[in-house]
Amino acid sequence: MDPLEAIKVTFFQECEEQLSELESGLLAMEQGETDSETVNAVFRAVHSIKGGAGAFSLEPLVRFAHVFETTLDDVRGGKLAPDNNVVKVMLRAADVLADHVRAARDGGVVEEARSQALAAALEALNGEAPLGGLVSDELDDMPGLEFTPQTVSDDDGFGDDFGFTPLAAGVIALEPEGPALRTWTLRLRPQNALYAKANETGLLLRELKRLGDIQVSIDRSELPGLADLEPEQAYLAWTIALTTDRSRDEIQDIFEFVDGDCDLVISAEDFMAAPLETSDAGLDAPFDVMALIQQAQADVQATAAPAAITEVLAAPAPVSASAPVSGPAPVSGPATGTPVAAVSVPSAPPAPTPMAATAAGVAPDAAHGAAAQQATIRVDLDRVDRLIDLVGELVINQAMLAQRVTESGVPRSSNIAMGLDDLEHLTREIQDSVMAIRAQPVKSVFQRMPRLVREVAAMTGKQVRLVTEGEGTEVDKTVIERLTDPITHMIRNAIDHGLERPEVRVAAGKGPEGTVRLSAAHRSGRIVIEVSDDGKGIDRPRVRQIAIDKGLIEVDSNLSDEDVDNLIFMPGFSTASSVSDISGRGVGMDVVKRSIQGLGGRIAITSRPGQGSTFTLSLPLTLAVLDGMVVSVCDHTLVAPLTAIIESLQPKAQDVRAIGPDAYVIAIRDSYTPLIDVGAMLGYRTTPLDPTKGVALLVEGEGGARAALMVDAIQGQRQVVIKSLEANYRQVEGIAAATILGDGRVALILDVDNVVAARRREKARSDAKLAAAG
Amino acid sequence: MPAASGISVLIVDDQMTMRALVRNGLQQLGFTEFRDAVDGEDALRQLISRPSHLVISDFNMPKLDGLALLRAIRGHPPISKTAFIMLTGRADRELVQRAVQFGVNNYLVKPFTVTILKEKIEAVFGPLT
Repeated sequence: MDPLEAIKVTFFQECEEQLSELESGLLAMEQGETDSETVNAVFRAVHSIKGGAGAFSLEPLVRFAHVFETTLDDVRGGKLAPDNNVVKVMLRAADVLADHVRAARDGGVVEEARSQALAAALEALNGEAPLGGLVSDELDDMPGLEFTPQTVSDDDGFGDDFGFTPLAAGVIALEPEGPALRTWTLRLRPQNALYAKANETGLLLRELKRLGDIQVSIDRSELPGLADLEPEQAYLAWTIALTTDRSRDEIQDIFEFVDGDCDLVISAEDFMAAPLETSDAGLDAPFDVMALIQQAQADVQATAAPAAITEVLAAPAPVSASAPVSGPAPVSGPATGTPVAAVSVPSAPPAPTPMAATAAGVAPDAAHGAAAQQATIRVDLDRVDRLIDLVGELVINQAMLAQRVTESGVPRSSNIAMGLDDLEHLTREIQDSVMAIRAQPVKSVFQRMPRLVREVAAMTGKQVRLVTEGEGTEVDKTVIERLTDPITHMIRNAIDHGLERPEVRVAAGKGPEGTVRLSAAHRSGRIVIEVSDDGKGIDRPRVRQIAIDKGLIEVDSNLSDEDVDNLIFMPGFSTASSVSDISGRGVGMDVVKRSIQGLGGRIAITSRPGQGSTFTLSLPLTLAVLDGMVVSVCDHTLVAPLTAIIESLQPKAQDVRAIGPDAYVIAIRDSYTPLIDVGAMLGYRTTPLDPTKGVALLVEGEGGARAALMVDAIQGQRQVVIKSLEANYRQVEGIAAATILGDGRVALILDVDNVVAARRREKARSDAKLAAAG
Repeated sequence: MPAASGISVLIVDDQMTMRALVRNGLQQLGFTEFRDAVDGEDALRQLISRPSHLVISDFNMPKLDGLALLRAIRGHPPISKTAFIMLTGRADRELVQRAVQFGVNNYLVKPFTVTILKEKIEAVFGPLT
């Protein structure tokens, strides 16, 4: 791939991260967190998107981001108070910005009127000229990253818009040329962790000695008296003069394994000319990066343009204190060493220290997010999947080994058997940990919902508050991806059908604003997602009537409340008398149910009239393992997904009816369910199994169609590792995947949906044939 | 006339995209030694443990911004002479003026072309070979 194209891919990935930071920052601002950290993070997100977009000449995106950035800059500079109205406009602008990003990525266009309207709304906030001349002029000055020769204004050839004269610098000698001997000064101050990890200074010194001559002096100044001595505490520091012809890297390498567990400064004696100015951070004092940083920040703060500060102070808005531009305020008193411009601001509100600002101003989640981001790496998904595959093999292998050992008659109490138990334990742990790599917080789905709620609320004229809980709950990436549509649909439904209009709510004694709650939690090895609302609940008489009208139930059906509630999951049921553009779209709750089942999940509803409804989804944490019912069919072993099985039973002769050659139905509680002989269907046998000699698994397939699968016997329930059949062989009708059992045999996993659907198609064909014959 | 391949560069930006763009530009100019840092603090720690000839740094970053990074570098003798080019937006005139106070060597307006990048570096080090 063209390197620029590859960078562009990265850019769009980063845009998604920045868009989500933008939104969470704005939501925090909506909750009143308008401290400079939050505002700056929001600004930075838009600024970064604009910067990258400029490099790729994505002009509509740059143009919109620029307007947005300008408004945010005013908030940051204290010129615009981020009140509720302002934040609401910016939230909508964030939605449009996201549309621009996606349009740029996928080659679409954003509806011009909408983009213009929001840009105008943003500009109205900062009272600037409407979108037009200014911005596009500026854009003409922003070429993409190509070899287009740039005309320059002055003789020396450097665009000098800022009245700037570049400061020349030589290439400083960082390393000696050639293998000349030089003397390096190393200052080593181990931390407790170095010793805790069983490293030892003596060994490091011995390694250093192999590089050349060393002179070592020890600094015992921190060593306390015996009474105060903490044995696990590191007190000593060393200064080492090393004369060697080796490079800095080679010296550095010695400390490779203690990197991060000690303070280490390596400097060459002839390395630098005299210091520009004095600094406490010289090499003699123990070196403290944080002190250097705080000093630098204080210095920068001290030179901040006084105008900006006055403006911040003058602003009546709750623009919290301090920061003109650059983050945390000084912590170490008045700045030294640099001219303190007219910043005598004694009346300034107490500036928070960086720590305090973090603690007070940033929601724990955001702080956690920042930390998590620090410690992440990007890994190609293929690599993770390969690892998961291998661990799957390992699990199978371990199970085979265990079975063989058992079969060979080794007693349970023997060392071998006990060792195998440990192995099993470890294997499971590895499996869980590897699965966890694919796990992601449901946040990525949840964070799309505020926008949806805003849009649907605006369309329906309802007032809605969205509450999300458990965003950090982790679940397999694929599950997350396939959750977006069902959750979107359920939230739409909750607002459109569940919540009442404000006046109706008030009349019912509720607040005008309805609440939709979206939560995720882990419960007994599954993830449970709930969507609930405090609206009117399911209108049971109406649901019942609709079901009767649509011929889904009989007029005289005797249904419990729960049964009525569950009617909404039936295919062909839709409560909307006309297809509204919100919940409608031709899909109903049956589609939601089907997609949840496709993920091996279940969905349930509870509803109380006048108080609201709750939809509960329960999903497996991963798609790589499956809870299965292991069954025998004609000496073959098959696995049926446990989630599809409603019950298993032994058919009695009087319940089975023949309805044609080789076609049977079975009576299960008043209704007839087709019997499917799995052995015959897969071609294992030609004469059908006598139903009374086998076991029937009552299963529910796509769209709620039921069938009874005839198998010879049930072996038991087991968790199995799913192996793709398509990847290893080819797709087989009626089979979803394969697995390898403890005894090494391959077992096929039944595709229940497919089996049930195939049977219906076959029936339709034979019905047609009968009709033609008749 | 320094050789591009003899100049080691530390690229500082919280955005991976921007780091990649700068690196891509530098590669086209014959530079071979790069390191990345994701914010000012990361950059400072890296420089202290191993110096670079040139720092190309964004301004607005979490933790330690570009201006404070510049200040910290200039205030720490072992690395105080590191050449420093600041990445800025077109509208950041005031910022560049402040950076001048702290001894910035040059600035680079985003988005930039490879030609501009070369000019900006050559203004600091002299013509590259």
